[in-house]
Amino acid sequence: MSTDDTPIPVVAIRGVARHYVRAADDVQALRPISLDILPGRFVAFMGPSGSGKSTLLNIISGIDRPDEGALLVAGEMLNDLDEDELAEWRARHVGLVFQFFNLIPVLSARDNVALPLLLTKLDRAERTRRAETALRVVGLDHRLDHYPGTLSGGEQQRVAIARAIVTDPDLIVADEPTGDLDARNAEDILSLLRQLKNDFGKTIVMVTHDPRALRFVDDVYHLDKGILLEGEDAERAGAAIRMAAGGHVGGGGHP
Amino acid sequence: MLPLSYSLRNVAARPARSLMTAGVVALVVVASSLFLGLISSVKRTLIDSGDPMNLVVMRKGSDNDGSSQLSLEAYQAIRYFDGIARDEDDQPMVSPQLVVQPFFRTREGGRENVLVRGVDEMAFAVHPAVRIAEGRMLQPSSGEAVVGRGVLGRYAGAALGSELEFGRGRWQVVGILEADGASFESEVWVDVRELANDAKRPFPYSGIRLRAASPADLVALRKRINDDPRYALEAELETEYYAKQSESANTLYILVVGIAVLSGIGAGFGAANTMYAAVQARTAEIGTLRSLGFSRASILSAFQIEAMALSAIGFAIGAASAIALSALLRVLMGGVAFAASTFTTNVVTLRVTPSDLIGAFVLAMVIGLAGGFGPAWRAARMRPIEALRKG
Repeated sequence: MSTDDTPIPVVAIRGVARHYVRAADDVQALRPISLDILPGRFVAFMGPSGSGKSTLLNIISGIDRPDEGALLVAGEMLNDLDEDELAEWRARHVGLVFQFFNLIPVLSARDNVALPLLLTKLDRAERTRRAETALRVVGLDHRLDHYPGTLSGGEQQRVAIARAIVTDPDLIVADEPTGDLDARNAEDILSLLRQLKNDFGKTIVMVTHDPRALRFVDDVYHLDKGILLEGEDAERAGAAIRMAAGGHVGGGGHP
Repeated sequence: MLPLSYSLRNVAARPARSLMTAGVVALVVVASSLFLGLISSVKRTLIDSGDPMNLVVMRKGSDNDGSSQLSLEAYQAIRYFDGIARDEDDQPMVSPQLVVQPFFRTREGGRENVLVRGVDEMAFAVHPAVRIAEGRMLQPSSGEAVVGRGVLGRYAGAALGSELEFGRGRWQVVGILEADGASFESEVWVDVRELANDAKRPFPYSGIRLRAASPADLVALRKRINDDPRYALEAELETEYYAKQSESANTLYILVVGIAVLSGIGAGFGAANTMYAAVQARTAEIGTLRSLGFSRASILSAFQIEAMALSAIGFAIGAASAIALSALLRVLMGGVAFAASTFTTNVVTLRVTPSDLIGAFVLAMVIGLAGGFGPAWRAARMRPIEALRKG
């Protein structure tokens, strides 16, 4: 898996596959996949709808389980954990960002961000302090007491990112983080994620359709029909995305 | 664990749904509080009428004042038994009494049996809880009566200064009796000799109430009276006597508890239904919480607390309504009449007491627990991926 010179991967996937039974049909969402994600990398999974990218992301983040294969994430073999152990593991090691923000509407921005800290032994003052720091990192320290309903989409996603980083997790997992945002807010969110990688060395795994993401990420993996594309297939998929975006992405270096 | 504020704010965030759920619980609380209040008022009226130091002496085989009769000789003999308490004038505290149950005409034109008790001046010493609240005590052999608070205003002539008509004569009302809600408040008291003459009874008394000097004397007196072969009498503790009289309320009690339980089950289903809808609407939220790492137990307790909070609100609304409604009923109706086992009418003042409210509170909490558990359990056992997809 690793030599003395190469860092230990944050995510090590070996032969992971997943299928669903839908209306008596057996759907192979993910065919056996193996890959490593190294610490401090900003990685994107891209592909058309139904390609299995979200399924893979859910498995990496421990909110879904593979039917076969082995999965080592943040030093833990997830296959060995039961539901409650998985929940505890997620709380300690993973920060989650969703497409539709998934904030709790009855809690303020500060309380939403502090929510994962309730699962730690920190006292209330320290939880509040860390939540406010996280909100400052995402540029929302002037919106501490605002409820999600009073924030714009971009601001809500920033609160969600603050919630994802507040526990200082090994891995940030983002599922279509720009999917519900306009172009300007989408750029801002991608830039923020990149900043987290650059400034804090965070490992970020993201699923996206957004071709703009190519300018911000370190590595792109293409999936199609549950298969991780490699070689020329991956090249073609990447080119198609760049073409669809009118050639405005890629090649420009990271911000 | 999720903070308490999460559950409470969820209650506040959906006011219409919360009020609907709390309203269902409130209706059950109103019904059960009033039912329990009625039962406890009835029980209090009857059972509190007994004094633990008193004996009721009646003819053997009689089960109440009205069906007993007792001779003057028996009264004279018992009066000088040892162990009877004595008043300031060193007179034995023995009160011979005659009970009749004539019809009284209600103000609405109906007819009800009312217990008229013939007493002598010793009655107040033997029944220390009874007092003249307004007016004065009746004078013997002068056609005067005092009426209980529950009787006042309910029957034609039952008012201070008015004339009551029953038996063969008219009785001037000169005073109003109070007895801390006991059944004496549903009675009319007159002079025992006058009543015996009016009723033309072959025996002057129906029974005797006597007060023992000590608990030991109470036991000894009871045994002596019961064992005395001369008069075939039976002495019973006054508390036991009234407890037996209250058995007529037991059927009502079972009925009330049955109605309360049934309405509680109905409310439980209603609350569960709204809670299920609430869980359905928040499936994505549950998925998010589970994804963030909150355990099943945290989700279960958060939703259970929410259900209990809704029940508590329902209880608060229901309890306030029940207290207001009982006060209104007291003003409008004066009291609730029910037939005692002697067929006389007892008038109960409906009061919802703290213990009745505790009963209703327990019922509301059971509704919250039972109604909230199903939805809370459903929420807790969802896998995060299922919850996120369904949301």
